Amino acid sequence: MFSKFLRRSHLYLALFLTPWILINALSTLAMNHRQFFAKPGDNPVHFEKESEQTYNGTFPVQATARQMALQLLKGLNLERAFSVQAKPEGERITILRQDPISPRRITFAPKSGMLVVERQVFSTHTFLERMHRRRGYQHHRLLEDAWAVSVDMVIAAMVFWALSGVWMWWELRSTRVWGGACLLLGVGLFGLFLFSI
Amino acid sequence: MTLNLLLRRTHIYLALFLLSWFGMYGISSLPFSHPKWFEPPEGGPRPSVRFDRSYQIEVPQTSDLRETGARILQDNGLQGSFGVYQPNPQRLNVYLFSFWSATEITYFIDQKRLLAEDRPFRWSSFLTGLHARGGFEQESLLNDAWGVLVDLVCLGFLVWIGTGLYMWWQLKPTRFWGGLALGGGFLVFVLFLWRL
Repeated sequence: MFSKFLRRSHLYLALFLTPWILINALSTLAMNHRQFFAKPGDNPVHFEKESEQTYNGTFPVQATARQMALQLLKGLNLERAFSVQAKPEGERITILRQDPISPRRITFAPKSGMLVVERQVFSTHTFLERMHRRRGYQHHRLLEDAWAVSVDMVIAAMVFWALSGVWMWWELRSTRVWGGACLLLGVGLFGLFLFSI
Repeated sequence: MTLNLLLRRTHIYLALFLLSWFGMYGISSLPFSHPKWFEPPEGGPRPSVRFDRSYQIEVPQTSDLRETGARILQDNGLQGSFGVYQPNPQRLNVYLFSFWSATEITYFIDQKRLLAEDRPFRWSSFLTGLHARGGFEQESLLNDAWGVLVDLVCLGFLVWIGTGLYMWWQLKPTRFWGGLALGGGFLVFVLFLWRL
């Protein structure tokens, strides 16, 4: 009964998390071969202008850059997770608004009121890397937290698959010798790397 | 050997061989997902200065500073895996690392001064170092071999998905709930792609 429960959990959890594992594998491949996509030191991220307008709204007195960014994003109907940078003396506010497919860079110059929205040009390797790096509970949005929970679920699942996989292997007597050899070889090789590079 | 047996054995033997990497990637994801869990109290121990001396080297106006980084290390009797970056026009940083230790070497271009600081060991750095290690830019065979193994782990993930789907389909009683799990997973993932 325990064995069957373990096998079914191993299977159903893997089926549910297939898209996460797929993205993880492809993004790691892309990150391991960055030189195929960009020269060292080159910025692989490029933006194209989407719109330019004068912003006529006003901000509360002593509004922080983050409060201003939030108001601008609301006005543009682009509310999602973001980060913001403000140049000294409020010359320019740059908002990086996240999106798995098309992140945007919004630049606002308070003195002139100029508001420029740029869309990141889509490329497969930057998309994969973005998905790989997206995690954490810092954005205070339900969907962001749900994504972070799904990432934690993948972490827990990986540990569970490793343990349940070893259990299932041990139950298959005919695979013990070759399986043991593979396991020892892998652990030995990992140990060698750990202390030599 | 039948195809069925071949796929089953590939699934299990590949998993056992790569188990250390698989477990490592799982556990080492935690400091990325929950950095606060690994923060040392009161910032932890400070880096210790290994040397702070006068030094002069020409820093070229190029985005690829690896050669300059290698020269700095060589001139100062340091060796190992490293990365180079220029945080501002007046500084060049060379990051010398292994899984267990890290040394930050800062060249102050305008002062013609070189500072080397050893970072104290921290479990979070150890785990994130294991997780993020990859690529083929280091000039050593073992580093390249690690890069190949990272590729192998990625291919392993794809093989496990393929062989796993095959094995699931062979188990007729699990098709309904398995299909529901697979479909549900894709649906949730697409929702994230659309709304995240």
